[in-house]
Amino acid sequence: MGTLLRQIIVNCNNLSRLSIQSNLLKNVNSALLPLAVNKRYSNAPTPYEVVDRKSEEKSNQEVINKVNQLVKDEKTLKLFAVVHVAGKQFKITDGDVIVIEGYWPPTVGDKILLEKVLLAGGSDFTFIGRPVVQKGLVRVEATVIEKTVSHTKTHFRKKRRKQYMRINFYRIPHTYLRINRICINGEVNNPPEVRGLETAIF
Amino acid sequence: MVFTTALNFVRSRGPDEFWRKRKIFKLAAHFIGRRRNCYSIAIRNVHRALVYATKGRQLKKEDMANLWETRVRAGCEQHDIPYDTFKEGLTRCDILLNRKVLSELACWEPYTFKALTDVARRRAIDDGLKGATSSNDIDRILTRGSLNKT
Repeated sequence: MGTLLRQIIVNCNNLSRLSIQSNLLKNVNSALLPLAVNKRYSNAPTPYEVVDRKSEEKSNQEVINKVNQLVKDEKTLKLFAVVHVAGKQFKITDGDVIVIEGYWPPTVGDKILLEKVLLAGGSDFTFIGRPVVQKGLVRVEATVIEKTVSHTKTHFRKKRRKQYMRINFYRIPHTYLRINRICINGEVNNPPEVRGLETAIF
Repeated sequence: MVFTTALNFVRSRGPDEFWRKRKIFKLAAHFIGRRRNCYSIAIRNVHRALVYATKGRQLKKEDMANLWETRVRAGCEQHDIPYDTFKEGLTRCDILLNRKVLSELACWEPYTFKALTDVARRRAIDDGLKGATSSNDIDRILTRGSLNKT
């Protein structure tokens, strides 16, 4: 019984992983222009196939319902997310500390939400953003715990036999960010009517 | 201070010899042999070390980028999709994960990475890219045209 159950879970893992993105992310508007499709074509003819929209939608809905049920029953174990912060992407999970290099305005003690979530997942499913997952669906809470500077880095240039030598010292600002919590709010593929206000402060 | 000749002026510049040398010896403290104790040899090696340190910071970034790419390539090979097709497929789907994150996913989140390769392959087949072969596995899951924007 135990093995059978495990297998079923694995199967639905795969299913949920794959079908969600296609449906879910129709809702995400993207400002990107359509990519040029003129590179690296193969000569093989594109196979034709008949697509049954209804059965397709049904199977997609099944997967989405499964994930929604998992979220509702709080059976999502530890989640991870890939967030885009200050020009870099980080794969994070609860309790992580990430270091952000360079100038970054938040100050010590600030509690912030990281909203550019490119990917989020747990043991049973993954949301893949195109390029970001539906806003407000994944909530990543973080706290700025320390602002400091890196160790002194020496920038030293020298050319042999040319009487050329330059030395310079610099330090980069570092911001330590603690990830407090990653959780899923709301339902998959069911965005609120009015969007963009989840985190607005009035 | 009064200098009778220019030579005296040149000789008296800078901090005291002891402190000037100590700066170098401090940096050479972990060297081996005469490099750490003889000033003329120490300074040569300290300069070289500092140049290496400066250049090494850039090299480290390049090395890491290479490492990430190798890991992603290995992951792609595992799922039987060429690396270039994989990247192109993801880009066309607006999945903008960088190599660092992809390599981490390939290492630690195998299911997620497999999903990404399936998405990329589906898209590559839909767009008729080279190197993508269909498999029943993805046909069952991702249907034709579902990855295009609507």
